[in-house]
Amino acid sequence: MSVTIISVRELSFQYNSAEVLAEVSFDVTPGDYIGLVGPNGSGKTTLIRILLGLLMPSAGTVSLFGRSSLDFREWYKVGYLSQRFMASYHHFPATVKEIVSMGLLSKKRFPKRMGSSDEMAIEKALECMDIVDIKDKLIHELSGGQQQRVFIARTIVNEPDLLILDEPTAAVDPETRERFFNLLENLNHQKRTTIILVTHDMGSIGKYASKMMYLDKRVIFYGTFEEFCRSTDMSSLFGSLSQHLICHRHE
Amino acid sequence: MSIRRQKWIFILTLILIAAFAFTSCQKKEQKVEKVQKIQVITTLFPLYDFVKNISQDKVDAVLLLPPGVEPHSFEPKPDDIVRINKADLFIYTGPFMEPWAADILKGLDNKSLIVVDSSKDISLMGEKGKHGHDHEKKKEVHEKEHRHSHEKGHKHDHEMDPHIWLNFANAQKMVDHILEGLVKKDPTNKELYSKNAEQYKSKLNDLDQKFKETLSRCKKKIFIHAGHFAFGYLARRYGLQYVAAYGFSPDAEPSPKRLIELTKTMKKHGLKHIYYEELITPRVAETLSKETGATLLMLHGAHNLTKDEFEKGVTFISLMEENRKNLEAGLQCQ
Amino acid sequence: MEMIDFLSYGFIQRALITGFFIALLCSFLGFFLVLRRLSLIGDGLAHVTFGSVAVALFFKTFALYVSIPVVMISALGILRLIEKAKLHGDAAIGIVSSLGIAIGILLASLAGGFNIDLFSYLFGNILAISREEMILSILLSGVVFLVIIFFYHDLLSVTFDEESAKAAGVKTRRINTLLFLLTAVTVVLTMKAVGILLTSALLILPAVTSLQVSKGFKASLLISSLVGVLSVIGGIFISFWLNLPTGATIVLFNFFIFMLVFAHRRYNIKKRRLL
Ligand SMILES: [Zn+2]
Repeated sequence: MSVTIISVRELSFQYNSAEVLAEVSFDVTPGDYIGLVGPNGSGKTTLIRILLGLLMPSAGTVSLFGRSSLDFREWYKVGYLSQRFMASYHHFPATVKEIVSMGLLSKKRFPKRMGSSDEMAIEKALECMDIVDIKDKLIHELSGGQQQRVFIARTIVNEPDLLILDEPTAAVDPETRERFFNLLENLNHQKRTTIILVTHDMGSIGKYASKMMYLDKRVIFYGTFEEFCRSTDMSSLFGSLSQHLICHRHE
Repeated sequence: MSIRRQKWIFILTLILIAAFAFTSCQKKEQKVEKVQKIQVITTLFPLYDFVKNISQDKVDAVLLLPPGVEPHSFEPKPDDIVRINKADLFIYTGPFMEPWAADILKGLDNKSLIVVDSSKDISLMGEKGKHGHDHEKKKEVHEKEHRHSHEKGHKHDHEMDPHIWLNFANAQKMVDHILEGLVKKDPTNKELYSKNAEQYKSKLNDLDQKFKETLSRCKKKIFIHAGHFAFGYLARRYGLQYVAAYGFSPDAEPSPKRLIELTKTMKKHGLKHIYYEELITPRVAETLSKETGATLLMLHGAHNLTKDEFEKGVTFISLMEENRKNLEAGLQCQ
Repeated sequence: MEMIDFLSYGFIQRALITGFFIALLCSFLGFFLVLRRLSLIGDGLAHVTFGSVAVALFFKTFALYVSIPVVMISALGILRLIEKAKLHGDAAIGIVSSLGIAIGILLASLAGGFNIDLFSYLFGNILAISREEMILSILLSGVVFLVIIFFYHDLLSVTFDEESAKAAGVKTRRINTLLFLLTAVTVVLTMKAVGILLTSALLILPAVTSLQVSKGFKASLLISSLVGVLSVIGGIFISFWLNLPTGATIVLFNFFIFMLVFAHRRYNIKKRRLL
């Protein structure tokens, strides 16, 4: 049962001979809810793109669900929400339902067809994000908050075992944010969904995450939330006040 | 990323530089051989061939059109203009065949250049040959009235058939104009030029007689051309009816009605042959042949030659001989 | 009566049949291309075709044997420029198409002329379609149709967002390659059959028209093909009635449909704002 979800060893990545990531090693076990934090340009997004197989590392290995990411094929187990989902879809002619259905694609084999069980899964995801009534609307007719719910629905529609979220709550209304964090908590508690959440929102992450990773080209800190709060390194890094703020919220 | 992009741009620039270097080298090689001969630039193949026949090898004749290029859509490149600027004699068909000539000649600083408009004193036919001489007279009157108002716009509302060389009487007049130009530039060889011109004109005259003779004994008095309207002068000279798919130049596209009219005409007259034009893929002719079961035959307008034809040493007269034979077959002459 | 007479001509029948399939072909592919901001790829590849015809004439081989592989390679070249060099689509298309023209012109000057006017290759004519061109266009639209049916979801997700499609395990590279190769073959074939004007118009106009009325991805794709077919068939009939050149009539009619739809949409937006 306790197969590690992610195992990273001695990972490094250079871009145009500049070091982006160095000597990154860590394990993620089932049910972890990891808050991934770090300053701008610390390599968080790069790390995630490598985990997803979108980038090749310069050195080191990544394995997903016990298998090297090079021959990992079960992408349906991984849900991914990129920070760029707000990019310009201004005239893309897809309905909410069509976009959510894209999330089911990773489970399908050729020829990829949608059946009645898929319809139900879509319906469920729409309900989950409270967007059933706008399912036939076009994505560009929606507000930013609604759009984001659609993308979250797309990410969770095939109930992935691992969710990777890259700053999903940037520029989103508080209600959506609240609903989103509650949803993640439910998934984490009830379905033991493993979650990696990249965020700037230190306040919120403190409420939910079970582990913290502080990345700045290298892994500066990786451990449970309690360890994070006790760590003197972290208090010197953040200043004891903000550390207190994060940790206080958790209690 | 930027390094990669730079690499690409670099490679591309190299290719382009190589391309330019290559072409300019080529041109230079061509220029070296010319020594002291009179430089004569012609625009269309008939003019080129006429010059060759009159002058033999006394002048250096150049055909502006590269082999295989369709002449109606041709515009001289900067390099061509440089060549005209360095030439002694520039011979063109007329303002309707080479509408670009007037502007270019105006802009030249070659003071000693003699320009020959081969259509001088030749009466042009108007729209599809229907108006004929009447039109010509009207045009003259018209021009006097409007000379000051709009010289340029005039050409467009009265488009004239530029294919004068396909009437062999006109062709003889063109030979005269060319001779005049050559003598003006090179009086020392006047006798030779005049003698050759006379000989060539008599050949053209023979050709004319032969056409007259052949076409007088034909069952059909009509021929259908799936090309542009180039043979109006020829048809009128020998009393034939002539139908073409396009107007005076081949750049337009025929309408479905036009094609249906053509097939109807072919069927009505029981024509078993359809003519296609030189240089251009005979798509329309093939369509009409499929529609009517007619056989394809070429009718060469002689505007320009293909590369192969140049290498074979085809002449204006040999092309017209071919045309005569093809007309003989198509018009069912006995 | 006149209409029945009109339809009895073989070239009209071939124009209608081939036009129908070419319209389907181009509007299907064009829909994906326009959404990916690759509208001008038809034009670009047409110029490469021009260059490849020069190559064929230079080596005196049958033009299609050279054009199809050359244009396919160029299409993949555009794709790699976009993927690897991170160039924008229009820049990549511009590079490859200008290279195509440059090679054409260079070869024309090296060869010292050809046996046929090179530019006449750029202008096929919908009224002068051969039986082979008709059969090829039917086969090719069959292939494109099957590809769209079997890879519909992959195409949708790649078109929408390539990165998340890739993260969802879609073989984005394979899908892209497929799309570009089909576009290449389509451009060569339609260029030869109906000319550069109709090729680039049919790759763009039906798609942008459908985007004006979009009700969803699948709906837009269908509307795009409908607009394409309507323009071609309608254009052929109009050109008969009004005695006009057919290719240009098709393009103008297609543009007319676009303007109608556009005006309708603007009117609706204004009305909604007033309410
Ligand atoms: Zn002509």
